Amino acid sequence: MSGKQDLLAAFKEAASAVEKKKFDHITRESVVTELGVDSLALMQIVSELETKLGVMIPDEDLVEIVTVGDLCKKVEQRL
Amino acid sequence: MKERRVAVTGLGAITPLGLDVESTWQGLLAGRSGVGFITDFPTDKLRSDISASVQGFDPLTVMSAKEAEINGRVTHFGLGAAIEALRQAGLDVPRDPDTTPRPDESKLPVRPERIGCLMSTGQGGVDIFEQQILKSAERGPRAVSPYFITGVMLNAVSALVAMRYGFMGPSYNIASACATGTHSIATSALLIAAGEADVMLAGGAEAATRLNTVAGFGNARALAKSIDGDPTKASRPFDKRRSGFVMGEGAGALVLEEEEHAKRRGAKILGYVAGFGMTSDGEHITRPHPEGLGLALAMERALARGGIGPGDVGYLNPHATSTPHGDVAEYAALTRVFGEHLSKVPLSATKSLLGHLLGGAGAVESIATLCTLRDQRAHPSANLDDPDPAFALDFVREARGIDARFALKCSAGFGGHNCAILFERA
Repeated sequence: MSGKQDLLAAFKEAASAVEKKKFDHITRESVVTELGVDSLALMQIVSELETKLGVMIPDEDLVEIVTVGDLCKKVEQRL
Repeated sequence: MKERRVAVTGLGAITPLGLDVESTWQGLLAGRSGVGFITDFPTDKLRSDISASVQGFDPLTVMSAKEAEINGRVTHFGLGAAIEALRQAGLDVPRDPDTTPRPDESKLPVRPERIGCLMSTGQGGVDIFEQQILKSAERGPRAVSPYFITGVMLNAVSALVAMRYGFMGPSYNIASACATGTHSIATSALLIAAGEADVMLAGGAEAATRLNTVAGFGNARALAKSIDGDPTKASRPFDKRRSGFVMGEGAGALVLEEEEHAKRRGAKILGYVAGFGMTSDGEHITRPHPEGLGLALAMERALARGGIGPGDVGYLNPHATSTPHGDVAEYAALTRVFGEHLSKVPLSATKSLLGHLLGGAGAVESIATLCTLRDQRAHPSANLDDPDPAFALDFVREARGIDARFALKCSAGFGGHNCAILFERA
């Protein structure tokens, strides 16, 4: 089982749950600020991931995130 | 400055009797009740098990799935009613700020900074509050949605309307409990008269029938119960067996517009706000002033602003909550204002059929009043099986024709807030 792919899938799922639309086009290289989601939505996506995976991403980590892959990495470190 | 007259150019409603103004109005004329048993949550430990609920409204017909999820039912209703009103006024031109450039202002029916919105609620997103508090209790505070605050803030409806249409005039929320909708219309009329806006979307919405609010109102002994097992008989303003109000939900929206502005763009004028008065009891948090003094002063101000006397009013739509003390205080207020004229003015209590829409009540009842003036026909006041002999009033028991140029609507809210509006037919 590929943890990397699973996290991307989890991100897409969380984003879809928050925005009520599909995010099939997203890759790990996608820039978070270019996804068409605002900062509140991003926080909601992080919260969904936290709940689903049972992790907590500190705010300091969030500041450094540029791409979806960056966020996935931060989550991986906490798993 | 020349006096700026305030016309009504659009109406919208979502109520327990229908999902628009016409179905609501026809339901009222037919004497149909919107009250039934509560089915959304267990009522076995509550003091009342009835409410007037909106049936069959799908928020996805007026907003995106995301907006529907992060906003409460009150906001769904508020936006729904607002869209109907703006459509009738010819102003339903949504703008997506993310994709649509700001349009050429000279081609717009209203300059964006001259149109605003007071689409208010008294209690706000009670359902969102319950849902998020539960989430926090179960999963901790990090699970609380970042949209919690914007979902429960009372100005959510006004904000959503302003964003959807790109309104840049005054937009906010007025909360005065059960007088919220009435205050929002009166204040909007004031803003137009004072030159702060040319057009206002004004009204009120509520969707607060939840376990804990029914408990709160019930424990305050404010709610009515079924009579002989029949929920439709519970709301009975001015009847001897009245015992409290029935919680209702829904929304009413009015487009108010400076008369010359409406005429210039060829909008159809449906009626006028001819006067209004706003006062407070300054006495008790829930009990009305025993002589209805504050309410009477509000009505007197409305008549004075309209430049007419009590004998010119041809129809009354009172607050009429069906509480034992509320109806007595209101009758005292009406007696003070109308004197010998009172028993000759046709009167109907909209809450007898719709229940009490709380923050939405004054708006929906104002719409009923405007429909009464438009059709020159008053809807029945239900459940007057045995009118309290203390009240010498001309109750409309069956729908009937009236001859009225002016109609008075008044509301009183917990906190001692009073508001009266004088409407004039087109």
